[in-house]
Order: sequence, then structure tokens, then C-alpha cells
Amino acid sequence: MQGLMRRYIRAVDAMNYRIGRIVMYGIFVMMAILLWSSISKTFFVPSLWTLEMAQFAMVAYYMLGGPYSIQMGSNVRMDLLYGEWSDMRKAQIDAMTVLFLIVYLIFLLWGGWESFQYSISYGGERSPSVWRPYLWPVKAIMLIGIFLMLLQAISEFFKDILRIQGHDMGKKV
Amino acid sequence: MSYEVIAILMFSSMMLMLLTGQRVFGAIGFVAVVAAFFLWGDRGGYDLGFAAAIKLMKWYPLLTLPMFIFMGYILSESRIADDLYRMFHVWMGGLSGGLAVGTIGLMVLISAMNGLSVAGLAIGATIALPELLRRGYDKRMVTGVIQAGSSLGILVPPSVVLVLYAMIARQPVGQLWLAGVVPGLMMAAMFIAYIVIRCRINPSLGPVLPKGDRDIPMGEKIRLLGAGLLPLFIFFAMMVPFVNGWTSLVESSAIGAIAAFLAAVLKGRMTREVFETSVRKTLGISCMFMWIILAALAFGAVFDGLGAVKAIESLFTEKLGLNPWMILILMQLSFILMGTFLDDTAMLVIVAPLYVPLVGALGFDLIWYGILYTITTQIAYMTPPFGYNLFLMRAMAPPEITLRDIYSSILPFVLVMVAALATIMAFPEIALWLPGYVYGN
Repeated sequence: MQGLMRRYIRAVDAMNYRIGRIVMYGIFVMMAILLWSSISKTFFVPSLWTLEMAQFAMVAYYMLGGPYSIQMGSNVRMDLLYGEWSDMRKAQIDAMTVLFLIVYLIFLLWGGWESFQYSISYGGERSPSVWRPYLWPVKAIMLIGIFLMLLQAISEFFKDILRIQGHDMGKKV
Repeated sequence: MSYEVIAILMFSSMMLMLLTGQRVFGAIGFVAVVAAFFLWGDRGGYDLGFAAAIKLMKWYPLLTLPMFIFMGYILSESRIADDLYRMFHVWMGGLSGGLAVGTIGLMVLISAMNGLSVAGLAIGATIALPELLRRGYDKRMVTGVIQAGSSLGILVPPSVVLVLYAMIARQPVGQLWLAGVVPGLMMAAMFIAYIVIRCRINPSLGPVLPKGDRDIPMGEKIRLLGAGLLPLFIFFAMMVPFVNGWTSLVESSAIGAIAAFLAAVLKGRMTREVFETSVRKTLGISCMFMWIILAALAFGAVFDGLGAVKAIESLFTEKLGLNPWMILILMQLSFILMGTFLDDTAMLVIVAPLYVPLVGALGFDLIWYGILYTITTQIAYMTPPFGYNLFLMRAMAPPEITLRDIYSSILPFVLVMVAALATIMAFPEIALWLPGYVYGN
């Protein structure tokens, strides 16, 4: 069981780390799209696709980058009590409360799945704009992002379990 | 169970879960989807959570968020603001308390280049603070100056907090930003007035620079004035195309980010390390904000569905017979009180679904309230026991500054901010004049 958890943690953390390291350069993708948008608008014919493309890029950025942000410990916690606890105490409480996070992510995944299915039925759902892109690719990205988030949350859960059993899993963030 | 009871139940369970120290977005999102699930069945639960993600995607101005965060990190990590500080140092040093006044000026310029208070705080704590301490400035005075000054970052445009507020209150970001200009400058002026008066009464708080330090050739002084051009260049690169209607707000934010990046490259400060840190931290902070908004939108949607706001409004106006102004003042007081023990993200989540619609229902201007909201958030940023700025300050300040110093240093500045808040409440024109002038309404 313990070996299994360790292997899971290693695999998921490594995967999400790599994805996050690539996705973090997405800030430049957004910048490039928006820059092109301003240039084309000012000097040529305004592009129809830039607005939505930038939105899609942002969704990919925060959805796929989310797990890496958990690894970095960027997600704020209210530390009135939490800040005072020892790492052991933090792990104990977190091992329970992370289940709330997991439930939330499962609800998101569920809704995302339904929405994705809708987007590929009836000949494909399109955005109601002039460009009219298909919506399934971005919904697929959201779905993948939420799923990766879920994997990462479970990895954090396993880490806390191992910490409670007295293993050194690195500093608690 | 009546809707009011459900609303109160949701609130208290959220507060309880926040106290456990779980990630804020997890706690809020959980309460939202579970409440929706029990109220409206399974469709309610999963639809509501994911619908927030779609809403978030379609809300175009949110794209400014990663841009301004990136800009802030470029400015603080690459230390291109060093010269800016030198400029104020050289020009203001001759005045009693002049360096502290100059620091406020520095903060105003930094605020005009980025939308969070973190960058200003980082620059202030690493560049200005050691310098001011070395010159014999009172440590409590300077710690307060830097914290108060950096909080201007969220009031002077571009402001990330106002972007978030705009999303929740469904108000145009452009107008909100313009509304922040005059109150921001007014508050900076009030800080400066406070510093000057304190130093006039007790000159030892902010000694004049010794003569030798001030003997800098005029040519050098003029050259340093050039450093002040940098923020102006970035600010105008961003604002001119926007105000002229050539680009949208979002496109301007990208131009601003690119301008800041180029400035750092041209000054030779863009090392591999600075680059990596800025890009990585931008992802971390952007994700933090996005996921919290995602959860907060779901939470707000449940509240909308419950009609909780109407119930509370009728409680105040009909059952208690209060007039709108009394309610507003009560709300603001409770808000400041909450701000002292809640952190800013938690406040956003609480205030957004509850206060903002209520203010609208009472017939107040939501642009104006956005400014009141932001100033109150600033106060919350700074007041113990919670406060983002307090902890950051602790982490960045030199060791001779204790937590006690930090706590006591902000008190006078908080009082100044409360005075500014009251002034803007009494005279809404301070906030509303500029957007009215530009947009002609």
C-alpha cells in the first residue's frame, strides 16, 4: 500500500510538474495573441479570432497550470490557526479537509463531462460569435485540467497520510 | 428550511472550513456545490460548479490579471526601480522627512505600472527600507510608510482588485479604474501631509540628509530625473492607446507587460534567473486567483438563486426601518471589522455575493462603491492579526524590525485611510468625477 502510494505520488507529481513547466510559458502566448490583436486592429483589418483565442489560452493556462501551483503552494490558506500548527498537525487536519477539495473537483469534473458531451453532440456546439469556433477543444482542455487537479489533490492526500505515518515527505506547504 | 437559514448555514460552514486552513478555493467551492446539490438536485450541483468556469472564460477583462501580475514581478524581480528610488532620494533628501515623502512618490509611480500591492511592497522593503534606516529614520515610521504606500497599488490604475470587483459587481473595468485615480492621489497626498506634519513636530523621526550626501552635481540630478521617465513610458504605452480607443483594456495590459519586459531587457536586468522566477510566480499567483474566483462565482450563484440578498435588504429597510445611508455605514464598519481578522481573499468572497448586490438594491452607485470596497480591502491588507502585507513585510524586512514594530507602525496610516474612506463616502464626486468626465455621463 505504502509503495503504491509512493509510486502514485512520484508519477503524478512528475507529470504535473512537467505540464506546469511548459504551461507557464503560456503567458507569452496570451501576450502574442493580444499584441497581434492590437496591431491588426490599429493598422489592418481587425482579426475575428483573437479575442476568443486569448480566452481559450487563459483557460488552458490556469486549468493545466493549477496542479503545478498546488505543488508550489501558491494557493492561499487562511492561516489564523493553520500557521501556528506543527507540520504533523497540519498533515492530520489536511488529510481530512482535502477530501472537501476532492469532492469539489469531482463535481467540477462531472459538470465538465456533461458539458463536453453536449459540445460534441448535434454536430458540435459552436461559440455564438462571428468566428464561431467549435467549443469541444477548450472543454476538453478544461476537463483534462480538472482531472489533473484531482490527481494532484489525491497525491497531496497520500503525502499527508505518509507524513502521519512518520515518513519524511518534504516540507509541508 | 427557509432560505435565510440556508444562507446563514452556508456562511457559517464556509467560515468554519476556512478556519481549518484548507486551500480557500477548495473550502468555498465545496460549500457551493454541495449546497446546490441539496437545493436543486444533482443537475444543480454539477452544472453550477462548471458553469462558473464557462462564465470565467467568457469574462474578457479577466485576461488583464495574468498580464499585470507578470508586470509586477518583472518590475520587482529585475529591480529596474532602483534608479527610481535614487531619483527621489536625491531630490527629496534635503527635506525633513523627505525620504519618506519620496517613498510615497515612488509607490505612486510603481502603482501606476502594476495592479497588486506586492510589487510595491517588495521594492519598498528591499530598496527603500534599508536605505531609510541607515539614514536614521524612525523604523516604525518607515515600515508604516512602505506598507501604506504599497497598498496604493490596488487603487491607482491598473488595479487587479478592481478587475475582480468589476467581475462580481458586473461593472465596466475602465470606469472603475478611472474612478480610482483621484482617490488614490488624494490618499497619497494625505499620507504625505501626515509625514510632513509628524516630522515638523519631531524632526528626529526623519532627519535631513547630511550636507555631504546632498552635494550631488546638477548634471547627475538631471540624469536621475530621466529614471522617472521609465514608469511614465510604461504607463502611457498602456493608457494612451486605451483612452484613445485604439485598443481594448485587455490589449493595453498586454502592451504594458511587453513594455515592462522590454524595459528590463534594455536595462540589462533580464537575467535567466529573473526571467524564470517571474514566469513561474506569475503562473502560481494567476492560478491562485483564477481558482478562487471560480469557486467564489459558484458560491455567489447559489446566493443569487436563494434570493438571500432581497431577504437581507427587507430585513434592514422594512423590519429595522434604517435608511440606506445608515445601512451603508453599518456595512462599511462591519467590513472594516471583518477585515481585521479575515484575509483579503476571504473578504472578497464574503463581500461579493452579500454586500455588492445589497448596495445596488439600496440605490447606490456601484462604481463609487468599488472605490470604497478597494480602500477597505487596503485596510484589511494592513491590519493585524491577518494581513497579507504584514506577513510579506515580516518576510522581507531586515531582522531589526520586529512583528511588533510592524503592527504598531501601521496604526496612524490606517487612521488616515479611514479618514480618506469617510471623505469619499461623503463626497462621491471625488471618485465619480473623472470617469464621468471621460465617458461623458
